Amino acid sequence: MSEKLYQIISRVFNVDKSIINDETTSENLEEWDSFNFYVLLDEIENEYDIKFDLDETLDIKKIGDIKKIFVKHGVKAE
Amino acid sequence: MKNEENLAYFLNEAKTIKPRELGKKLRVAFLASSTINGFEETMRVKCFQKGIDCITYVADYNQYNQEILNEDSELYKFKPDITFLILDVRHILGDLFFSWHTVPHDEKPKFIETKISEIKKLCDTFEKNSNSKLIVTSLEIPSYSSYGINEPREIRGIKEIVHEINNELFMTFGKVYSSPKIFIYDFNGFVMKFGEKNIFNYKQFFSGDIKISTEYIPKFINELMGYVYAITGTIKKCIVLDLDNTLWGGVIGEDGFDNIKLGDNPIGRSFVEFQKRLLALNQRGIILAVNSKNNLDDAMEVIQKHPNMILREDDFACVKINWDDKVTNLQKIAEELNIGLDSMVFFDDDPINQEYVRESLPEVLVVDLPKDSSQYSQIITEMKEFDVLGITEEDTKRSDMYLGQKKRKELENKVGDFNEFLKQMNIEVSVQKADSFSIPRISQLILKTNQFNLTTKRYQHEEVSKFSSSDEKIVECVKVNDKFGDSGIAGTYIIEKKNNEEWIIDTFLLSCRIIGRGIEEIMMNGIVEEAKLSGIKRIKGEFIPTGKNKPAENFYEKLGFKKENEFWVFNTDDTIKKPEHIKVIKNE
Repeated sequence: MSEKLYQIISRVFNVDKSIINDETTSENLEEWDSFNFYVLLDEIENEYDIKFDLDETLDIKKIGDIKKIFVKHGVKAE
Repeated sequence: MKNEENLAYFLNEAKTIKPRELGKKLRVAFLASSTINGFEETMRVKCFQKGIDCITYVADYNQYNQEILNEDSELYKFKPDITFLILDVRHILGDLFFSWHTVPHDEKPKFIETKISEIKKLCDTFEKNSNSKLIVTSLEIPSYSSYGINEPREIRGIKEIVHEINNELFMTFGKVYSSPKIFIYDFNGFVMKFGEKNIFNYKQFFSGDIKISTEYIPKFINELMGYVYAITGTIKKCIVLDLDNTLWGGVIGEDGFDNIKLGDNPIGRSFVEFQKRLLALNQRGIILAVNSKNNLDDAMEVIQKHPNMILREDDFACVKINWDDKVTNLQKIAEELNIGLDSMVFFDDDPINQEYVRESLPEVLVVDLPKDSSQYSQIITEMKEFDVLGITEEDTKRSDMYLGQKKRKELENKVGDFNEFLKQMNIEVSVQKADSFSIPRISQLILKTNQFNLTTKRYQHEEVSKFSSSDEKIVECVKVNDKFGDSGIAGTYIIEKKNNEEWIIDTFLLSCRIIGRGIEEIMMNGIVEEAKLSGIKRIKGEFIPTGKNKPAENFYEKLGFKKENEFWVFNTDDTIKKPEHIKVIKNE
């Protein structure tokens, strides 16, 4: 499931995929700002055909948190 | 969705583009009552792609009142060319958005009046303090009403009053006052097109006061680009069309007259609808041309006789049906219609032709037409390149004018001798001072004319107005007609009265359709005569080369102007010979 997710993140934040991992946060990734984070969430929702709850989105501090939500929503690994 | 249409794409591109020296510069300001991140980025990238260097200013969150009302604000210091004021219904109505049902009926009119006058006051103040165009978004008519199902039974329900506010804005700045500077953008139309549930994303709204969801920002900015094209004169004037599988389904040379798809079946209906959209654009002043590989007779039979064909021979200003390649034909069309390749749009269903034209003639806008003809109508409707700020009488008559042009060409070929042809044309020219009727067309000419244009200075409507009422300037235009029809206002000039001895030609231009018939001599002759009457000794003019105005390059010399440094100078003791085949009507 990481591959496709990392691809989306890399495209939205315009950074190389290799520097993204589950510990990536807005603190250690300069390109991650509060606005393009909304864009990212929107793209993930469309790509995986899911809807995050508002509180879920507020709890995302690092990329690994997105994967936790995936598990909750039953998104299968690819 | 293609990546190039994603907001992420625009946000990232915006970081890499740098202003080039492209010639076209634009300063755009955004004012809003909600978060508008992504707006200026998308607009800068879209402008960049169209060869416009765009610099932007985004006012602080919800500061639009202060920015507009304070004449020393950063907004005015920025000196924008275009300012977008993005209002939204929740902000304007405040808590009444939820509790409109608590307002007594007799207090409603006063509330509406107050809201309208607040917006009007902003517009009026802005108009006084800035030369910028101001585009104000109309309000979205909300799907929600606190009256529930009783909304339609209520006097002045919430939807009705938002509609009322919008209408009042349309009336004030469009229909009644016809402001040259203030335009109301039909934002509600945008919401109708894409749907409130798509545009308004509650999560993004609660998280960051985003009122146009990130997914729809590029689509919204695309709508606003219509104003950018119109104001910068980046508009397209001519649509060049392939025939097989572009104007009708199938291939005429193979399927034959009776079997092409046009009309009573699903595929055929999509082509009829597409043709109807094209005809509407044509009636609004966009000229149409055909560029098709076919046997002329086969294809013309469809155009002339097919019962479901919407576009007919007379709707096309130029028809190239032959076996030449598409690029050669496009060049010939540009030449015959006397318009630049950069004002042409090319529709062809064949991806190979699309690519070929894109590579050979990068100036031409080649539409990425998909295989599915049901999308054609939508694609042409989404294109903002045909918008002008005001449709002039000349626009609505343009198609007839080009038809006249075709007939003139026929006469010219028949007569053979050019001077004899000119004599037979019965050309009449009337020179008139600019007035409120002619100024919209004059400024349109000033913004659009590239070829026969001595200085290519671009002035907006209100600048032309100002010049025309100034004692230091002369703004005049020429109306032209001949036995084939009325060409309307086709030329204009602005003279600066420098002092008691000298006039300067600030602007002098002629629509490309009528170059070379002696009308330019009549215009200059008129200037000289007028100068003599005012005791002026010298007329000075400049030729500013742009790469596009070569047809005007030798004009001064031909008329007897003498070169002095960068100026061309005419001594008013001399005269300019008046072409005898033209009848001049003086209007005072």
